[in-house]
Amino acid sequence: MDLTLLLQGIVSGILASGLYALVSVGLALAIGVIGIVNFAHGEFFMVGAFITYQLFISFGFDPVISLFFVAPTLFLLGGAIYQSSIRYVLKAPELNQMLLTFGISIILQNLALLIWGGDPRTISSVAYRSIGYQLGGVSIGLVPLASFLISLVIVGSLYYALLKTPAGRAMRAVAQNRMGASLIGLEVNRVYLVTFALSALLAGLGGVMIAVIQSPTPIVGFAFTLKAFAIVVLAGLGNIRGILWASLVVALSESLVATLVPNGDALRNAVFFAIIFVVLIARSRRLA
Amino acid sequence: MRRISYDLLFVLLAAALLFFLPATLKALYGKASVSYLSLLINATGLAILALSWDILARTGQLSLAHAAFYGAGAYTTAILLKLADWPLWLGIPLGGIVAVLLALLLGSVTLRLRGIYFAIATLAFAEVLKAVVQQLPTRIAGGAAGINVAALFRPAFIPGEMERWEVAFLRNQSYFLVYVGILLLSILVSILVQRSRLKPAFTAIRTNEEVAAVMGVKPARYKLLAFALSSFLVGLLGASEAHRIGSVLPDETFGIGTTVFALVTPIFGGLYTTLGPILGAAGLASVEELLRRTFEEGYLIGYGIVLVASILFMPKGIVGLIDSLKRRRRKLPRSAEEAV
Repeated sequence: MDLTLLLQGIVSGILASGLYALVSVGLALAIGVIGIVNFAHGEFFMVGAFITYQLFISFGFDPVISLFFVAPTLFLLGGAIYQSSIRYVLKAPELNQMLLTFGISIILQNLALLIWGGDPRTISSVAYRSIGYQLGGVSIGLVPLASFLISLVIVGSLYYALLKTPAGRAMRAVAQNRMGASLIGLEVNRVYLVTFALSALLAGLGGVMIAVIQSPTPIVGFAFTLKAFAIVVLAGLGNIRGILWASLVVALSESLVATLVPNGDALRNAVFFAIIFVVLIARSRRLA
Repeated sequence: MRRISYDLLFVLLAAALLFFLPATLKALYGKASVSYLSLLINATGLAILALSWDILARTGQLSLAHAAFYGAGAYTTAILLKLADWPLWLGIPLGGIVAVLLALLLGSVTLRLRGIYFAIATLAFAEVLKAVVQQLPTRIAGGAAGINVAALFRPAFIPGEMERWEVAFLRNQSYFLVYVGILLLSILVSILVQRSRLKPAFTAIRTNEEVAAVMGVKPARYKLLAFALSSFLVGLLGASEAHRIGSVLPDETFGIGTTVFALVTPIFGGLYTTLGPILGAAGLASVEELLRRTFEEGYLIGYGIVLVASILFMPKGIVGLIDSLKRRRRKLPRSAEEAV
């Protein structure tokens, strides 16, 4: 086996894991704190990507600057969606919750299709898009490297915020025990609102990066919903700490399959589903 | 038993009406009846899809793998026709059987999964199956380019005796009757489930599996039975659609769209009923046709809006709405079943 190819696969996997962690940690937050499995999570990601694209096309905004526009926009969008729909199904059967977010996902996706059409959109003229470094045969693109570092910083500050700030403590309290949290005077509904908005914000920031890394289409969100599911399921539903290593495992296995297996690029997506499927089945056997 | 015979009578009557519907449409609208029939075929297909999904959902198994069974049926008939010289129609029942085998496989490994875990696992299964089909040798499954499938019906054009559009009419009429046949089978299965001991068994498992098991209902057996019934019907549909569309493609045939339609329709019409999915299909097929004419891309947004609106404002679907209107008129209290 070619050693540089293996190294390249490992490096690409590690670099991709940052973005994956960023997107999945938002989903894990929504599941852990609110108890909502949000099928529209990837759509927030997609909306982030397309806002970045539009800002670049219309005003020439650099994607790095777009981060600061996308964050508040997605926070508001997430909050608005929570206020207008999610909060009404918190006590409804799981089926209704799942289908509601599924419906939101369909709406956002098709809205994007109506606005931008189905073709991939590229931000091609950013100067740093083509910069890369060579390290002993392994090439490292500047953009994946930067997205990895930015994601790590964001996820790191989220962990810090969850541990040290009052809002973070409130979220953890609600995640542990809804009733207890409301008894000690926390406004559970507001915590939910902020958590959902924050979850959308995190996905949106990931979207800004994918707009530069790939050429996204409006259906990119669905793939990322599923990737995030794979990671969240691997970490344990609602477990926020496990996200980092789970992202690493999923991103590495995806990248290794894509580089090492012949014709592996087409199998890329199957890797996620195989992971989800096997993990869920294995967990269910262990529980029994 | 009396209620079931009423149901059967009603179904027979509906069947007779549907049987003569194409000829009636032709007499009334002439050339336009071809496109009316296309719309009716779409609606019938949607009703089969929805009803089969609903049968499975009655056991509390919210499957996101419906596209997998649909695709399995479609690919079975396509591969058979490509590799062997079998009669055209044989692919349809075989498609159903292959779908059942896959469903039993999936059903038996997901027996212990509940709610959202089950949903995610079935979705993963469907996507893995799509990738596997795409990776099969091109000689067998055609890879990403798919396989062409021969049409079931090829009415000949007889110059002088008929007009051009009448060929299309004959073709649509034949397909319509095939679809109506599958729909009637689905309705019969659904009625048998609703009017037999299966209904309490399914409902008990859906409401609380542990309690059901304690009461002597064997969850595994009934969950697998529901899987088999549901997948057989949707497998038949997939195989017929492959013939009607003329090709199978991994991304189209196993597309998530099939799963979305399968679950939105019963929710819109009314879950866990026979009538609900059918009413839902009739409504949604018409709405879709309108939207498709208005927007080129993104017309699925209508499905999203219907889904969100149904969950927020009409969680019991059209059937639930009709029921509550009836009750209000008769001033009856909410039934115990509705309160669940």
